Amino acid sequence: MSDSISRIGNVMALKPSNLPVNPELSPAKPFVRFENVSKRYGTYTVLDNLNLDIARNEKVSIIGPSGSGKTTVLRMLMTLERINDGIIWVDDEPLTHMQKNGKMVPATNAHMRRVRGKIGMVFQHFNLFPHMTALQNCMEAPISVLGLSKQEAEARAAELLDMVGLGDKKKHYPIQLSGGQKQRVAIARALAMRPKVMLFDEVTSALDPELVGEVLNVIRKLGAEHDLTMLMVTHQMGFAKEFSDRVCFFYGGKITEQGPPDQLFGNPQNERTRQFLSAVLEAG
Amino acid sequence: MNSSTFIATALADGLLTTLVITLGASAVAIILGITIGYIRVSSFWAFRCLAIIYIEFFRGTSLLVQLYLWFFVLPFFGVTLSPWTVGILGIGMNVSGYGAEVVRAAIQSVDRGQYEASVALNFSRFAMMRRILLPQAIRAMLPAWGNLLVDLLKATSLVFFITIPELTSASKQAADTTGNYLLFFAVALFSYYLIARLLVTPFVRLSERRFSRGFVREAVA
Repeated sequence: MSDSISRIGNVMALKPSNLPVNPELSPAKPFVRFENVSKRYGTYTVLDNLNLDIARNEKVSIIGPSGSGKTTVLRMLMTLERINDGIIWVDDEPLTHMQKNGKMVPATNAHMRRVRGKIGMVFQHFNLFPHMTALQNCMEAPISVLGLSKQEAEARAAELLDMVGLGDKKKHYPIQLSGGQKQRVAIARALAMRPKVMLFDEVTSALDPELVGEVLNVIRKLGAEHDLTMLMVTHQMGFAKEFSDRVCFFYGGKITEQGPPDQLFGNPQNERTRQFLSAVLEAG
Repeated sequence: MNSSTFIATALADGLLTTLVITLGASAVAIILGITIGYIRVSSFWAFRCLAIIYIEFFRGTSLLVQLYLWFFVLPFFGVTLSPWTVGILGIGMNVSGYGAEVVRAAIQSVDRGQYEASVALNFSRFAMMRRILLPQAIRAMLPAWGNLLVDLLKATSLVFFITIPELTSASKQAADTTGNYLLFFAVALFSYYLIARLLVTPFVRLSERRFSRGFVREAVA
């Protein structure tokens, strides 16, 4: 046992990043750590040797052109994609790997399930369960996975739906809700599992413009009122600027530039970042 | 007993037999079809192989030969089953081979986002299947199951060959006895149609309504 602990210590002691990270934002003990993580599809490299630390309660936005690997970062953390190299850590535990006979081996499904319980995710296309009402959508996992009683799960789900402003839509099926309402249900559903990290994958991209605000307001409220580490892929530059502690610009499977939003948006250092931001701003 | 009473009784018995075998074999087909279809999409290749062998055998060979096999060949291996057992299990297993493929296709047709949301909510594979994927897959597979069960009903006439008199054979016998072929085969045809219309169709309709909640706006439905 002590051997395995010391080995975890050894791996943790590896220098996590050789990128120029702002020391104020790179804490000694990150809550989420991508360590030399690569993801390839055949010969195509989606993410190339990614090193990224995210502190507890930090809000990080990921921006970049399509195909830059930004969504893959979230999907790997949610274990929806297997990584090819490196290790992902969550709350001091390896997520993608586990200790076996003093060695790091790829994690079993059971291990991944245990660790990923700390992570929640909201998807671009909501992915609500169509055969369940808003309330049932939020109750199902707490009952099936956490073993809550029906009463407890219902109370928790109702409270969360109230919080996202859908207290009057509890009995509605997803098909009876607007896109913005569906996405708010999806946020409540993820929160019902009491995650410590929330991942938002382009959560407003599938919405009509007038519905974007209601979803962003919920995320703002979450950030203000809850202890949550948040990682979001977004095309809403204004929101990323206002909400994030740090913005990472991805290009070609790498973090090309990262820093506090004022710096990254106000005074980008990298040519690619400047090109991307001016293209996005031009598009309005 | 005069001959017309005798014929009526035989026809009624035949109808009852057909009904019982249809209901029994349908239950077997549905239970085994869902089970084998579920195993067919297992993440373990050995399980998948077993399911494929099962499906290939029951779907790929003749139902009548399968019934003969269970009824006439199994006794050589010390297993003697009653005609009713062979009829219900034999037809049920045959249809479950088709059903399993219907189930597999329906499970695989559920939107991938549903699977991803289930992973993100940390469902076990079993809970994901039972609570999220199957309820949606069942809705998609019901029309195909309706076809299979109507087919099953019509296949029950084969149990005559393993000594059970049923609707078709009773009609044939009545026709042979009286010489009135038109009447008795018309009765047989109409009876099969009525069973399908009054038994199978309402069952499928009811299930469709039950599993379509949330898919169709109430105002439209």
